[in-house]
Amino acid sequence: MEHHLPTASERFINGIFPENPTYRLLLGMCPTLAVTNSVQSALTMAAATTFVLLCSNIMISLMRHLLKPHLRILVFTLTIATFVTVADRVLAAYLYEMSKELGPYIPLIIVNCIIISRCEACSSQQSAWVSSADALGVGLGFTLGLVSIATVREILGSGTWLGLTILPRSVWEPWGIMVLPPGAFLTLGVLLALVNFLSTRRKNS
Amino acid sequence: MDTLVSLLLLAISTAFINNFVLKYFVGICPFLGVSRKISTAVGMGCAVTFVMAIAAFLSWTFTYFVLRPEAPLPVWVWQICGGDPGTTIDLSILSYLVYIFVIAASVQFVEMYVRKFFPPLYKAFGVFLPLITTNCAILFACLEILKQLQDPTQLWGLHEALVYSMAGGLGFTVAIAMMAGIREELEMCDVPQSLQGVGIALLTAGILAMAFMGFAGVDKGLANALTADTTAEMTASFKK
Amino acid sequence: MSEMQEKTEADKHYLRQAWLILFLSVFYGAILVGVQIGLSGRIAENKKQETYSQIPTLVPGAEPTATKEFLVRGSNGKESRVYQARNASGEPMGWVFPGSGAGFADTIEILIGLNADMTRLTGLYVLNQKETPGLGNYITENAFRDQFHGLAAQEKFLAVAGTPVGTNQIKAVTGATISSQSVCDIVNGTVAQYRQAALEKATHP
Repeated sequence: MEHHLPTASERFINGIFPENPTYRLLLGMCPTLAVTNSVQSALTMAAATTFVLLCSNIMISLMRHLLKPHLRILVFTLTIATFVTVADRVLAAYLYEMSKELGPYIPLIIVNCIIISRCEACSSQQSAWVSSADALGVGLGFTLGLVSIATVREILGSGTWLGLTILPRSVWEPWGIMVLPPGAFLTLGVLLALVNFLSTRRKNS
Repeated sequence: MDTLVSLLLLAISTAFINNFVLKYFVGICPFLGVSRKISTAVGMGCAVTFVMAIAAFLSWTFTYFVLRPEAPLPVWVWQICGGDPGTTIDLSILSYLVYIFVIAASVQFVEMYVRKFFPPLYKAFGVFLPLITTNCAILFACLEILKQLQDPTQLWGLHEALVYSMAGGLGFTVAIAMMAGIREELEMCDVPQSLQGVGIALLTAGILAMAFMGFAGVDKGLANALTADTTAEMTASFKK
Repeated sequence: MSEMQEKTEADKHYLRQAWLILFLSVFYGAILVGVQIGLSGRIAENKKQETYSQIPTLVPGAEPTATKEFLVRGSNGKESRVYQARNASGEPMGWVFPGSGAGFADTIEILIGLNADMTRLTGLYVLNQKETPGLGNYITENAFRDQFHGLAAQEKFLAVAGTPVGTNQIKAVTGATISSQSVCDIVNGTVAQYRQAALEKATHP
């Protein structure tokens, strides 16, 4: 185990693109597809996920020396489920409309593989400082992933971006399928191909 | 009769119209990961359906008796301990914690039970069982049951919870099996390099989802055909 | 034999191994209790406001704080809440019935405003719907909802694509006759089920 562990800034950068959870690791696909029909719900979802990721990364990192190998998954789950409950209640209290719209997808953060994989890969080995940098990096990467998909879907599907009219109805008849479930699959598929295409081209040149 | 009709409608709408994978996007990881061969896809679907039914049974029981607002058990314990009978006890904040452990436990039990008593079945889908703990479709089914037990005036019974979970599992199996069938054919196709793997799978899923949108409204039409006309009921309510 | 010994050996350590879990459970439990005490009032208030804030528009002249809530059993044996809207001096002004039923895509939940003897509709509000964006979701717009205002509650409503003729026809949202008819059916069904029960409550509270 004498390999070099990444520093805080490396962890932060790593989460944003080289290991972007949406486009590179393909983790947490369920919220990526489900809540990206508007930028606003994508941002709320990303914020809630980042909050849970940050809190559980810090908690796990603080007790990393006490973790027993066979009990660690149990501790991770307990921690994540608690913070998800907190996030869910805070949303229901202060952003009721949003929490109604996101519905079951907030509690489904518990089974989002991003969080448990970060607990396993980073915070159970490294200090709280590095783990929080990692959580913020991955959170930012996840936010970028969600917002990029939501931008395409909301602009094409309802002609708006974050509620602001971008394409008025006189020039653009909203492409309804984009805000419906098939639009999510198609948009992510095309964006994924685009990311793959650009990165292969960069590697080749 | 009315109950049967409503259960049938619930099953149809859960399995096809509001398909777990193609409408709610839960269970996407196995949908994209374990859908290269029809046989494995069907195995995965069966395992999910099986665990989902058990988890739904357990979570309904816990929610109905312990976790929902106005649940009987906490009130009873509270009164035995000499608490004030008028106090409202709401333990629903614990639901997510309870569900995730219920799911983990039921996966463990199913695995042990199937391995001991049905070795051929275990061979067929045993390998998928550990993967199911983090399958969001199961937790999603539990959460839907929780939602239906929130309003004390319109509670789901156990039969509704079971039908819901099994129809959800059926929908998952149908979706993943169709996907696997298409992907087996795709192996022979010349897919552009950047789309290979998950990219083309997502586009295929998008087209499947569009096809499933065609089911919308089927339950409404069936309901009209199967349930009695409300005219008599309306006249009755205005007779005075 | 040696396996057995290992097992008893492990048993002794269970408590020593599990102390972290036990401690965490208590700690997280405390966090959740704090969240529950701090936010549950606000969340309950949000849920109540969803219905109550609509009462003045559904029943003209009603004062939301004076509303009386009844639990009634409908003619099919199902229980539901109904709201008797009152003005500031406590006189009954009308009723609000919550109704729900299958729409085109998912369940539609509505609030129905009725006059004091429940013979005329005074308003309609769509609480929750997931109809097709760009088509069916226009059932939430005033243009569609206002048509119900002033109609006799006894009519069996029919959503038509052309110009409505007669007192029971409603102009359907363009391209969404099923969504529109669903709303009509929910109104009819809900009024039919709970009218008698509500009348009884009003006369013998």
